[in-house]
Amino acid sequence: MAHVSLRHIKKVYPFAEHERKGLFGRKKNQEKEAGHRTAHLQVTDEGVLAVPDFNLEIDDREFIVLVGPSGCGKSTTLRMVAGLEEISGGELYIDDKLMNDVAPKDRDIAMVFQSYALYPHMTVRENLAFPLKLRKMPQDQIDAKVMEAAQTLGITEYLDRKPKALSGGQRQRVAIGRAIVREPKVLLMDEPLSNLDAKLRNQMRAEIIKLRQRIDSTFIYVTHDQTEAMTLGDRIVIMKDGVVQQVGTPQEVFDHPANLFVAGFIGVPQMNFFDAQLERVGDEYVVHVGDATVRPSAKKQERLLAHNVGSQPITLGIRPEHITLTMDKDAMLTGTVDVSELMGSSVHLHITSLGQDIIAIVQTMDVDGDHRGGFALGEKVGFSFAGNMVHLFAKDEDGSNLEF
Amino acid sequence: MPHDQSLAAERRNKTLLSVLLGIVCLIWCLPVVAVVINSFKRNTYVKTETFALPNEQSWAGLDNFIKGMTFGNYPFKSSVTYSVIITILSVALILIFCSMAAWYIARVNSLACKVVYYLCVFSMVVPFQMVMFTLSKTADTLKLNTPWTIPIVYLGFGAGLAIFMFVGFVKSIPLEIEEAAAIDGCGPLRTFFSVVLPMLKPTLISVGILEIMWVWNDYLLPVLVLDINKYRTIPIHIQYLKGSYGTVDLGATMALILLSIIPVIIFYLACQKHIIKGVAAGAVKG
Repeated sequence: MAHVSLRHIKKVYPFAEHERKGLFGRKKNQEKEAGHRTAHLQVTDEGVLAVPDFNLEIDDREFIVLVGPSGCGKSTTLRMVAGLEEISGGELYIDDKLMNDVAPKDRDIAMVFQSYALYPHMTVRENLAFPLKLRKMPQDQIDAKVMEAAQTLGITEYLDRKPKALSGGQRQRVAIGRAIVREPKVLLMDEPLSNLDAKLRNQMRAEIIKLRQRIDSTFIYVTHDQTEAMTLGDRIVIMKDGVVQQVGTPQEVFDHPANLFVAGFIGVPQMNFFDAQLERVGDEYVVHVGDATVRPSAKKQERLLAHNVGSQPITLGIRPEHITLTMDKDAMLTGTVDVSELMGSSVHLHITSLGQDIIAIVQTMDVDGDHRGGFALGEKVGFSFAGNMVHLFAKDEDGSNLEF
Repeated sequence: MPHDQSLAAERRNKTLLSVLLGIVCLIWCLPVVAVVINSFKRNTYVKTETFALPNEQSWAGLDNFIKGMTFGNYPFKSSVTYSVIITILSVALILIFCSMAAWYIARVNSLACKVVYYLCVFSMVVPFQMVMFTLSKTADTLKLNTPWTIPIVYLGFGAGLAIFMFVGFVKSIPLEIEEAAAIDGCGPLRTFFSVVLPMLKPTLISVGILEIMWVWNDYLLPVLVLDINKYRTIPIHIQYLKGSYGTVDLGATMALILLSIIPVIIFYLACQKHIIKGVAAGAVKG
C-alpha cells in the first residue's frame, strides 16, 4: 500500500567496479547480465550505462511487471528500488519519501529472490519469524503472524522443517511467506518462478494472483517470461537495453505494441513480420505485401492520417492467431508448410512465404477432417488476414508503430 | 563380453586399491598404536619389545601415568591448565577474528582486501623457524609471554590458514542470502552473527580442529616465548620427563602423550558429523 515513484532513475557501473561486489559496497552486478552489458548498452565516460533514464509512477496496490530479455536492466532497476544497488542518478520515492539513501531495512519493502535465499540453518518457522524478531515484535504476535502467513500459503505442516527438506515449490512459498509476513508497503519479486518446473510455475502463478488479492502491498515483479507478465500485471513495463519500450496494460501492449521489439517480445508464438509498402492515396491508405493488398481498418486509417504518415516502405506485423487459412483462390498469400506442430486444440504451422518463415495458428475445429492431425510437409497453403489485425511499423531504427 | 571384462578389471583395480590403502592406513596408525601399547608397559620393555602387546612381565598398569604426572617438581595439573587456557583462547580468537575478516575479504572486492588475502596465503609458506627468534624477542617486548597473551601470537600465525579456508567457504555462500537479511532488517554485524556465522559451521569446526591440534601439540612457540619455569604446557612437560644424564622414562612419556591426545580425539569424534559440506543446501536452488 504505497505509491512508488521512479523519476529519471539512472544506473552507471563505473569501469573500475565491474566485478561482483557485496553488501558493504552494494555494487553487485548481475553476472548473467554482464555479458550483454557491453554488447548493447551505452558506454559513457562515467562507465557502462545500465539504465539511462527510467521513469515510472506506480499506484497504490498496483501490480507492475518489468519484463524484457536478459541484460535489459529490469533486475538492476528492481535492486535499486530494494536498495541493494546504488542509484547513480534520479530520485526514488516511496509514499512521497525520498529513498535514494535509505538503507534497505528502512524502506518498508520485502523481496522474493529467484534463488529463494532462505536461511538454511533456520526452520521454516524461524525463517518466517526472522524479520519480525528483528523488529522486536512481541513473541505472541510473531507466532500469530507466522501462522497466518503459513496458512495463506499452505505451508503449516512444514513449519518445523529446514529448507533443505522442502521441494522447490515449497521453498518458494516459504520465501514468499517471509516477504509477506511483515506486511511490507512494497513487495519486490525478482523472477520468483524461474527455478520451478512448468507445472509448478503455472500453479504458483495462480497462487500469486490469489495472494495479491489478499494483501495490500504494491507489487513490482521482474520476469523475462511474457506469459507471467501478461497474466499477473496490472501494467507491464517492457524494457530493452535499459530503456523502457512501452508501459501499458497487458491488453494494450498486446493489441497496440509501440514498436517492433514489443511486438516481437509479447505474444507466443511471436508476431510475423513482412516487408511491405504503405501507400497513401489522398486520405486513404493501403498496404502492399508481395502481390497482395491489405486495407487497414477505418480506425487505423484515422490514426495514420492524424500522424500525417506518407507513403513509405514499412514492416507489416500480423500475429499467428490472426492468420486465417484459406484453401481457395481468395487467399492473399500462399506458401509451403515446413513444420506442422499439433498442439491439441490447434496446429502451429510454420510456412515459408515471400521468402521468409511465418507461423500461423490454426484451430483444429476450423480445418477439414483431413487436416485435423496436422498438415503434410511441403503442402501448399493459402492464407489471409484482416485489415484490422495488421500492425504497421516504420523502417526506422526503433521500428516504431506508425499509429502512435 | 568386453563389457563384462572391463567391469571385472574395474572391480579388481578397486580391490587392489582398497588393499593398498588399507596397508597405508595401518602404517599410518602404527605410531599411535605404539604409544597406546607402550604406555602400559614397563620402561625397560618399551625399547626391547616396542610393538609387542603387554604381557604379564611387561604390564605396568597405570604406573606410567602416575609416574608421568608426578615426575619432577612441576605439577602436571598446571601444565594441563595452561595448555587448555592457551588452546581455548587461541582457537576462539582465530575463529572469531578470521571468520569476520574472511567475510569482509570475500565480499569487498578492493585492492586492500586482495593484498591482505595474498599476505595471509603467503604467511602459510613462511616456516616458523624463519621468524622464531625475532618473534620471541618481539613477544617479550610486547609482554605476549604469558598464557593469557600468547594466544595473540597464535592468532597471527593461525590467521593465514584460517582466512584461506573461510574465504573459500564464504565465496560459496550465495550473496542473495545476505541481501535478504539486509532487507529483513539486519545491519552488517547482525547479518554476520545471525546469518553468515551459523552457515560457516562446517568450516568453523574444520578450522577449529586443525587449530586445536596445532596449538595443543605445539612445542616450539611456547618454549621460546613463555617463561618455562613458571608456565609449562603439556608438550613442554613431556619434554622434561628425563632424569639425570639424559635418561628418558619412555613409559611415562608414552603415557602422557596418550593422555594429551585423548582430548583432541574426543573433540574430533564429537564434531565429525558436523564436518560435512552442504549446510547451505536448500537455501538456494540446488
